[in-house]
Amino acid sequence: MKRALILMAAAIPALAQQNFDFKLLDKLGANAKGSTNITLNANMLKLAASFIGDGGDSIKSLIRGLTGVYVRTYEFDRPGQYVEADLEPLRAYLRSGQWSKIVDVREASKEASEIYVQALPNDRLGGLVVISAEAREVSVIFISGVMNASDVAKLSGNLGIPDLPDLPNTKKSGK
Amino acid sequence: MNLENELRDALRREPAPVDFTAKVLAGTVVSPIRVLPWWRRPAALALAAGLILGAMIPTAIFEYHQREERRALAARNQLMAALAITRTRLQQAKARIHRQTRHTL
Repeated sequence: MKRALILMAAAIPALAQQNFDFKLLDKLGANAKGSTNITLNANMLKLAASFIGDGGDSIKSLIRGLTGVYVRTYEFDRPGQYVEADLEPLRAYLRSGQWSKIVDVREASKEASEIYVQALPNDRLGGLVVISAEAREVSVIFISGVMNASDVAKLSGNLGIPDLPDLPNTKKSGK
Repeated sequence: MNLENELRDALRREPAPVDFTAKVLAGTVVSPIRVLPWWRRPAALALAAGLILGAMIPTAIFEYHQREERRALAARNQLMAALAITRTRLQQAKARIHRQTRHTL
């Protein structure tokens, strides 16, 4: 009974965070010359995991508890082709949930990084959101589901993930 | 009494007219018995349908597996791309924090 309650408590933030509608970010990329749009729900993640070879144990461990991975990256020809306000729906969503902003670094060049997490007991996270803004590029990464903080730390290292140009069939569109 | 007599008259057995049999037979068309070729017999048709289904099912299963494999490969590539982008952005954030810390110190 106690275990069931703990599991339910852990599942609540995971369920709550799936409500963000990524269509609200479409305006952000209205003037983009290129975009990367990745949407992987729990089923697709399971399918992807089945195709990760024996060498990808650390990746399998990272994605085991995930319920969704969403990436939106927009590249622009010139600075000023997107406005910060276009990110407001996401920020409002993050303010309303159980998210904590753990990184908010802004540089003079107007480049900025924001990292939000949903902290869970036992060094685990219920979600991770990264917003990275540059003059001519903006990226939003939204990872939902339970993951170990140590796996995320490894992710910012290398985790055996090949560099992006080596990956075939990356869904990248240009305007 | 009248009704009884009328009924009796009406239900009285009468012999058939002499030409009755000939008339009935004349109205009957006797069709010749058609013998179906073996490939049009129900058993042959059922066997053919079974063979076609037997050939189609493994093909459908094979195609389903192929399609699932393609989907899994695409999902894996998308996942790796997503993780690569996440890694880059996390490293970028780390570098920005370091730069800010250096400035502050």
